[in-house]
Amino acid sequence: MKSLLSPALRRLLALLRPYRGWMAGGAALALLAALAAIGLMAVSGWFIAAMALAGAGGLAINYFTPAAAIRAFAILRSGGRYGERLVTHEATLRGLAGLRAWLFRRLIPLAPARLAALRSGELFARLRADVDALEHFYLSVLVPAVVALLSTGAALLLALVVLPLAALPLLLGAVLAGVVLPAWIERRAARAAEQAVRESAALRGMLLDALRGHSELLAWDAVAAHNARIEALAAQLDSRRIRIDRVQAAGSAVVGLLAQLTLLAVLVVGLAAVQRGALAPPQLVMLSLLTLALFEVIAPLGEALAQWRATLLASARVFELADTPPSFTEPSSGTPMPPAYEIAFENAHLRYSPQLPWALEGVDLVLPAGARVAVVGASGAGKSSLLGALLKFYPLQQGRVLFGGQSVQALPGDALRRRIAVIAQQTTLFNLSLLENLLLAAPDASAAAIERAVSLAQLDPFVASLPQGYDTLLGEGGALISGGEARRIAIARALLQDAPVLVLDEPTEGLDARTARDLYAALDAAGRDRTVLLITHRLSGLAELVEEVVVMEAGRVCARMPVAEYLAAEGAR
Amino acid sequence: MGQAWLLSGILAAALFAHAPLGQLWPLWLALLALAPLRLALSVRARHTAVGAAQQLGAGLRARLLRGAQALGPYGLRTQASGDLITRLVDGTEAVLAYFARYLPQAASAALIPPLLALFVFPADWLSGLILLLTAPLIPLFMVLAGRAAARASERRYGQLRRLGAAFIEALGGLVTLRQLGAAERFAAHLDGQGEEYRALTMQVLRVAFLSALVLEFFATVSIAVVAVLIGFRLLWGELHLRAGLFVLLLAPEFYLPLRALGGLRHTRMDALAAAQQLSRLDAVGPLRAAAPAGGLRAISDSAPEIRIERIGYVHGGRGAVLSECTLQVPARKVTALVGTSGAGKTTLLSVLLGFAAPYSGHVWVDGVELGELDPAQWRARVAWVPQQAHVFEGTVRENLLLAAPGADTGALQRAAERSGLGAVLERLPQGWETPLGERGLGLSGGELQRLALARALLRERARVWLLDEPTAHLDPASTRAVETMIGAAAATRTVLVVAHRLSAARSADWVAVLREGRVIEQGVPAELARAQGAYAALLQAERP
Repeated sequence: MKSLLSPALRRLLALLRPYRGWMAGGAALALLAALAAIGLMAVSGWFIAAMALAGAGGLAINYFTPAAAIRAFAILRSGGRYGERLVTHEATLRGLAGLRAWLFRRLIPLAPARLAALRSGELFARLRADVDALEHFYLSVLVPAVVALLSTGAALLLALVVLPLAALPLLLGAVLAGVVLPAWIERRAARAAEQAVRESAALRGMLLDALRGHSELLAWDAVAAHNARIEALAAQLDSRRIRIDRVQAAGSAVVGLLAQLTLLAVLVVGLAAVQRGALAPPQLVMLSLLTLALFEVIAPLGEALAQWRATLLASARVFELADTPPSFTEPSSGTPMPPAYEIAFENAHLRYSPQLPWALEGVDLVLPAGARVAVVGASGAGKSSLLGALLKFYPLQQGRVLFGGQSVQALPGDALRRRIAVIAQQTTLFNLSLLENLLLAAPDASAAAIERAVSLAQLDPFVASLPQGYDTLLGEGGALISGGEARRIAIARALLQDAPVLVLDEPTEGLDARTARDLYAALDAAGRDRTVLLITHRLSGLAELVEEVVVMEAGRVCARMPVAEYLAAEGAR
Repeated sequence: MGQAWLLSGILAAALFAHAPLGQLWPLWLALLALAPLRLALSVRARHTAVGAAQQLGAGLRARLLRGAQALGPYGLRTQASGDLITRLVDGTEAVLAYFARYLPQAASAALIPPLLALFVFPADWLSGLILLLTAPLIPLFMVLAGRAAARASERRYGQLRRLGAAFIEALGGLVTLRQLGAAERFAAHLDGQGEEYRALTMQVLRVAFLSALVLEFFATVSIAVVAVLIGFRLLWGELHLRAGLFVLLLAPEFYLPLRALGGLRHTRMDALAAAQQLSRLDAVGPLRAAAPAGGLRAISDSAPEIRIERIGYVHGGRGAVLSECTLQVPARKVTALVGTSGAGKTTLLSVLLGFAAPYSGHVWVDGVELGELDPAQWRARVAWVPQQAHVFEGTVRENLLLAAPGADTGALQRAAERSGLGAVLERLPQGWETPLGERGLGLSGGELQRLALARALLRERARVWLLDEPTAHLDPASTRAVETMIGAAAATRTVLVVAHRLSAARSADWVAVLREGRVIEQGVPAELARAQGAYAALLQAERP
């Protein structure tokens, strides 16, 4: 039972603190309902037996008090159950939503440097499935355990008053059914439960592949083979679940058996007492029915603990992810941004893992405010790493990046990135309306600013062609939009951001020459009075955007020259 | 029931007859013997139900996945994958719970109460009457409550789907969100969706729990009435204690299946809502028509000539993407397709791949209509490099083998060398066994492109190459190497290359200019460059 107090669970409880009112209320109502159910059975049993004895003996009996008690217990039980269910579920849903939001916010500073190893299918599983698995902790374990413990205490107390000897089998039965059996079930189902959590995450990942990579699978005639792998994994997952269910079924059947045996023991002890005259017969009936009612309260514990290991694993996975340290510690809030926009790399060294070669190996580069510079080089030369370091997404192993004369390390990341608009190699659009997608960069942009950015990005014919204009929903990842249109939306978004620095990371990859040329003209206008950093592996058509060219090779800057000189050298080759 | 009868027997005998404990031993033994029987039977029943439901669920999941896949690449792109996965996994599980738990419980609820009533009547007809009269009220209330709940449940399920889709999207675009400084705002957007989900769920649960409350209440009140009536008749001596106790012990059992059914109501509501969503997926028919009446035609082993004749294609809501598009793609030549973005180049490849079904026109492959070819055989002849390759969960090797399951190490090495992937592999820490992440995180655009090329090269039996910008993201040296490789491969193949940049077209044998979904100009690149047509204009635009 040491695992019951694992650090992960203590943290979980700490995280759920804001909802402790709801949680405690739910548990209290559950206890009320359980005690009312036990009381109802006990009083009914006593009442009937007493009435029968009175009838047989021709005695008078006060039947008003017990009848009123029965009514009260009945109402308390029904109402309590209803309230308990509502409040515990409210508590769970609030707690889960809070946990999900907490985890998502913990993930934000981890992207992209620390999340590279996880696929979004896997992340999704942790964010949703694992967090949901924690629901089980409160609803199926915490509440029933508290209720069972306190109800058993109450029942034992009553038994001690009525017939101390009967408390012994009652205690034994309760411990067996409420502690020993759940522990046994937990152990038996542990492996299957753990594997089920992992396989369920893997299944989501494979399904994501099947859907997102469907075109490729179809072209390779590999759909059936991939589906077969999915079905094999799903079958394995099903067999784990069946195994867990078997253990649960066996467990709940054993609880039933234990209830019978405890009842027998109570009867044996009780009948002996009745014959000794130490116990009134109606009280024996009460004790018997009390035993049965108590076991109904204890019974759910065993089933719940079959999933215990899955809950532990889910919470461990959630915390492992949440505890990943971000690659930067942010400076205290309120750190002012420098007024200048000069960018400087000083002996910048960056690599993505100790096994990998340097992506940047001693880069020295100064971009004065208002500079227009193209960084060219083969793929893998370190151009994109330059951007990753500038945006404070990846930490340098050596050297530093300065923005306005201050190390980016000491600057607040969000404020830094607000000053650097980026049009990246891959455009990510969200399943929001076109307007909402544009406003992501600048939530307070005026209608006029939007119009201007849209027209600069030459997006107006596209907007006009949309059935609902700005309110048209773009599909997931902007799926309904062609590559060129997506790029132009991204450009409009970057323009709206109105940052002093504009970074163009292969802005025309995937666009045809004519569209690209039109775009360059617009970008030229947009880049006026801004620092322009153009990252590209191909310089054709660039001359009008930049004044200087920096050539990179294998993580180093190997040349810097005016654009005319670069073009002449290229032409001569 | 047997237990109840024996228990009441023991209690009655012991309390009234003051029988010594020893005399009651047959009853004790019978009680002991019944317990394991009850245990075995209940375990067995559950195994059967769960096993059957799992089988059903597995079949359903497989069928739905195929249903989703039948949407085709175009149809799938309009669906949020997070949403689809929620439907496939969670939806199936909701339906499964219905079969594993609700249905067996419904059967018990229908069978057990009448059976118990049969035994209660001989013991005490009045109690039996009360039970029989109240029992039908319970299903009645359940039906009434259920109607209201079904709608709320469906709305809740829809919201769950949207929540899943929004999360998976936010995770995929987290870098973009950070870059835009919008991560916190998007998180708030997600909070709003989560809150909406909570509110809808509580709405469903309130109704579900209310129907459970009604059930509880009826059951409790009926039991109380039975108990009080028994009590008074015992007091008046009209009933024997044994019969009274027996009925009293049975009365909760009588309502138990019905109450349990009420407790499982939300299982049924969830399953119904999920099934509704699932059937929508199931109902979507495949894009492709059934095989032609004449049967499927085999395809020859050599490079075919492809004739595209007046193809028209409409993309949902976006108007015509291709119209009257006619193009001849000769065998053993490199044909380049150029044109502004949105002109329909990629769509034309999709038609050739069978991903998009044109509404008019024909595609002839060596004189045989594409629709009459065995699609699997046709695709086996085709190697395709998509604009943006999908990276599958698994190692580099596994990612390549997906395209050609039977390829040996030698073939893998050759494909890696020719595509330039070999140089990438040398840099990767675990070489061929390096695991690849979401969208090839860890791979740059150029590296991804090489992976896609290597996959195409592995399909050595392919005689038709459809390449969508094979040199995008490649530096000039790699581009030249790939273009040379394509030129050499064309000796035994039919090659169609989509080129945004005209340098790729310049080395082609034939170039076609696409505008607004039709071919407006075609010819030998060098000749077209001299003419004053559309190609020359494109060339002009690309010049610095």
